[in-house]
Amino acid sequence: MALIHVPRPNAKTAMNPDRPVSGLLQAQIHHLLEAEKNLPLRHRSDIYVHAIKTEGEAAEYIRHVTEAIHEAHEIAAKKRRRGIAIAAAAEPSAAKSPSAGPGKGAGKKKAKAKK
Amino acid sequence: MPTGLDSLKHIVVLMMENRSFDHMLGSLTAANPQIDGITAQLSNPDTTGAQVKPQPLAQFQGQLDPDPDHHFPAVDLQIFGGDTSPNRVANMQGFVKSYFNQQEDVGHSQKIMYYFAQNQLPVLTTLALEFAVFNRWFASIPGPTICNRAFAHYGTSFGRVDMNPVYINEPFKNIYDRLYNANPQHTAKIYYYDTTSSTMEVANLLQNEPALFATYQQFLDDCNKGNLPDYSFIEPNYSDHDTDSGEEVANDQHPDHNIQAGELFIASVYNAIKQNANLWQSTALLIVYDEHGGIYDHVVPPACTPDKFPASASDTGTGQPFAFDRLGVRVPAILISPWIPKGTVVNRVFDHASIPATITKFFLGNYSPRSPRETSADVFIEPNVAPVDPARNLLSLAAMRNDCPDFDV
Repeated sequence: MALIHVPRPNAKTAMNPDRPVSGLLQAQIHHLLEAEKNLPLRHRSDIYVHAIKTEGEAAEYIRHVTEAIHEAHEIAAKKRRRGIAIAAAAEPSAAKSPSAGPGKGAGKKKAKAKK
Repeated sequence: MPTGLDSLKHIVVLMMENRSFDHMLGSLTAANPQIDGITAQLSNPDTTGAQVKPQPLAQFQGQLDPDPDHHFPAVDLQIFGGDTSPNRVANMQGFVKSYFNQQEDVGHSQKIMYYFAQNQLPVLTTLALEFAVFNRWFASIPGPTICNRAFAHYGTSFGRVDMNPVYINEPFKNIYDRLYNANPQHTAKIYYYDTTSSTMEVANLLQNEPALFATYQQFLDDCNKGNLPDYSFIEPNYSDHDTDSGEEVANDQHPDHNIQAGELFIASVYNAIKQNANLWQSTALLIVYDEHGGIYDHVVPPACTPDKFPASASDTGTGQPFAFDRLGVRVPAILISPWIPKGTVVNRVFDHASIPATITKFFLGNYSPRSPRETSADVFIEPNVAPVDPARNLLSLAAMRNDCPDFDV
């Protein structure tokens, strides 16, 4: 089958970041505002959402909160990983420690190996 | 007999915005009379009582401004023509009246009947004629975007008919959690266009499970490298915005965004899958629109199984409660795979609850609990469990097609 040409939109007229915000984008902003309230303070924007009037302004706010949500989750995940790593590091060293003897640490290691 | 079902490993859903079937694909009745589109008998009365016929005068941008009302009360008017009596019958006669209410301009209100000529939409119409087009795919609710999109993720909107649903702690799991928590585990992603466009599934999935998300660029990379998950849901760009690399034009086709930008985007998704030979033979792509956006369609939405969560009279805004026992207005839907015979027209009834229903049955088999609407929704891909009913299997070819179209994007 022949290659089908797909016409491009008129670059001069298609793009309009000054277009008034649609009901759909307003709903998206509202949802992101609710999500932003659950973020740690340092991740929140200083954008006043009631002053957002255009698509371009909406886009700026949407990007900020979307990236902040990802960032906040990544930081939380890193902390979680660090906590696990510290716990994991502590466990074998306790087992190796002569003062720890063959008690708790060794027992745990054996139990894990069985799994 | 082995079919495309044996090869199928990936299902991709691209959900566009706010266009009706007749508006986008109605012209195709002339090319294939099996497609239930525009005919000479169709019309809607305007507020002077004159009958307005659908005409192929739709423009890519600048015509449907203001955005046609598609909230629950307006769609009720569009479907029932303004009849609010107890025994009313749906007649699809209220579209022009509904659009008139926004500007009180008779001439402008008639534009809600305009549709695209086939040659204006080379991507969507080619795909509809080349693969499987659905004559009876309806929005899940006669209402707006967010609650309709919820049906694609959860199989229900948990009783919401508006734009502010919050589903946290609700009893039915989204399709992504179902797949990830399965044994063996399956993979799934929601690809939003970029962080500036983000997703319409903020309140629940983005906020609580951001790891489910990736950008459209990642989708392109995943296709290229053969890393596509089992299930992918793609969201278009919802806004005109600037990025570090330049201007991005909205490609969701929501009025008054540019239709041609959406055509390019659809072609880009199709090309990304097709350009990887292994992926092309093992992937089915569904292109569907979330709702009709207030734009004319002639097919009366059918009754359906009521959902578990009714909406109250105050929630609907019509003075009447809603039991989710009727589907929304018909939307374009096309299933694409090289295993589908050219020119397939599907007449069974579907709605967006068919998406989690299909993904669940195909990848997981039996699963519960699911909403009453999802459990009763038809599936567009049969589970690959013998015996497969040949009359229902759309990926029915014994050999892959090598005559599928290519788009120059």
